[in-house]
Amino acid sequence: MACVVLGTDEFLPLARAQLTARGLSSLPVVTVPHPLGGIPVSVAAAKAEPILDDVLRALTTDAAGIADGAGTGAGEIDAPDDLDGFQAWLMERGWGDGLPAIPPTRARVVAMVGGTRRKPDEVVAILVPRLGRATVEAIAANAVMAGALPEHLPVILAAVEAVADPSFNLQAVQTTTHPCSPLVIVNGPIAKRLGINAAGNAFGQGTRANAVIGRALRLTLQNVGGARPGQEDRATQGHPGKYAYCVAENESASPWEPLSVERGFRGEDSTVTVCGSEGPHNINDHGSSTAEGIVATVAGTAAIAGSNNIYLGGEPLVVLGPEHAATVASSGWSKNDFKRALWERASVPLGRLSPENIERFATVYPKGFKDRPAATLAPIARDWRDVMVIVAGGAGKHSVYIPTFGSTRSVTRRITD
Amino acid sequence: MLIVDPIGTSAARALTLAGRPRSLEGVTIALLDNSKPNAGVLLERVGALLAARVGARAVRAWGKPGASTGAAPAVLEEIAATARVALTASAD
Repeated sequence: MACVVLGTDEFLPLARAQLTARGLSSLPVVTVPHPLGGIPVSVAAAKAEPILDDVLRALTTDAAGIADGAGTGAGEIDAPDDLDGFQAWLMERGWGDGLPAIPPTRARVVAMVGGTRRKPDEVVAILVPRLGRATVEAIAANAVMAGALPEHLPVILAAVEAVADPSFNLQAVQTTTHPCSPLVIVNGPIAKRLGINAAGNAFGQGTRANAVIGRALRLTLQNVGGARPGQEDRATQGHPGKYAYCVAENESASPWEPLSVERGFRGEDSTVTVCGSEGPHNINDHGSSTAEGIVATVAGTAAIAGSNNIYLGGEPLVVLGPEHAATVASSGWSKNDFKRALWERASVPLGRLSPENIERFATVYPKGFKDRPAATLAPIARDWRDVMVIVAGGAGKHSVYIPTFGSTRSVTRRITD
Repeated sequence: MLIVDPIGTSAARALTLAGRPRSLEGVTIALLDNSKPNAGVLLERVGALLAARVGARAVRAWGKPGASTGAAPAVLEEIAATARVALTASAD
């Protein structure tokens, strides 16, 4: 069957990259001026006539053979010797993130690969949209650029494996306009051994392990996965966690079992969990002294009309500060008690959503939005068990709420040597 | 200096496109909506104008369950069995 793809001009780079990765680089794409969404139906329909000749031609003319850029397998590349020149060269190729990077020389990459027992040519994952082969060596090259040490590599490899799990929906996380990025949550003894910060300023600057593990995953996704900002990565704004987004759970300050144990791992296992996450939003509660008080504040922060989780479901994450967690536990609540209570209280009345948005959400999730009265409550997740809770941070009466892309599930993987 | 290529190789394989018909007269045109806002509006309008111009037999529409998920294999098979040409949509 002959096919033609329609899209808007703004999104042509993504469509082209997608077709190339799927081996269909000569499939015709016909574009209309952006945007299509958020405009009256009559205006959208009026964009049809001007492209009619192009569509007809594309459907009835055999496309010229265009060679597919199916990976060069370059191995090694000549780069500028001086460090300043190297930075500029890297950015020109679209391989940098804007921060200075360490040149991944053969010697440095060999040393990095020494951080794992896995073979350099082992394919850890195939990363979309480019269908890049994330070999141990390719990941190690990005880890070197990120400033990682060989001891960090096993965490980075496990995170790459995790994002490639089909339930994570990496294709969408990499290319969406939504501001999401894989948040890496580390559990188990490796967090302490590597000095991954789980305490004060855990999401902030100042700890090498958090910075380089998160950054190595990002560079791997951008380079091997082929999600270049403004090209295939279509984020409207993005968020600062796209540079590096890695944290450890503060297990010793948590009154409950860690995330890894919730998911069936043993306490002595080390794991990574990846979530397709927005940036953290603060939850300030200096007043409450009971679980009911804390959950009321968290619920009031989480029930937001513009969140993907409201209509797509998924697993929003609450990161309780140790002091808030202690307050909740002191009321005799388990982690599940907290999740259930939060889910019951954190919902958006449909009256707070625009009629047009409700109409759109109804096509995605009719059960929640189709022909429902304005007083209907849209919860922050489809089920209370989908609400994720970890404990992280230091002293202080703050927690954070982290919504997700929605059409993505978090994935936990054991970290191995 | 020599550095290790940070993008590595791709597993993409080149596929051959289906041959194109010389004319669309009498064919069924398929529309596959990616479920982004107004994608269906544009596809249906292009489909209707095209059918009127070339004398197509019919225009039929299918959908995806969501913008961030692929079409069901059964839907793709049905389109392939029903239509000679297809219009689909990518991204926004």
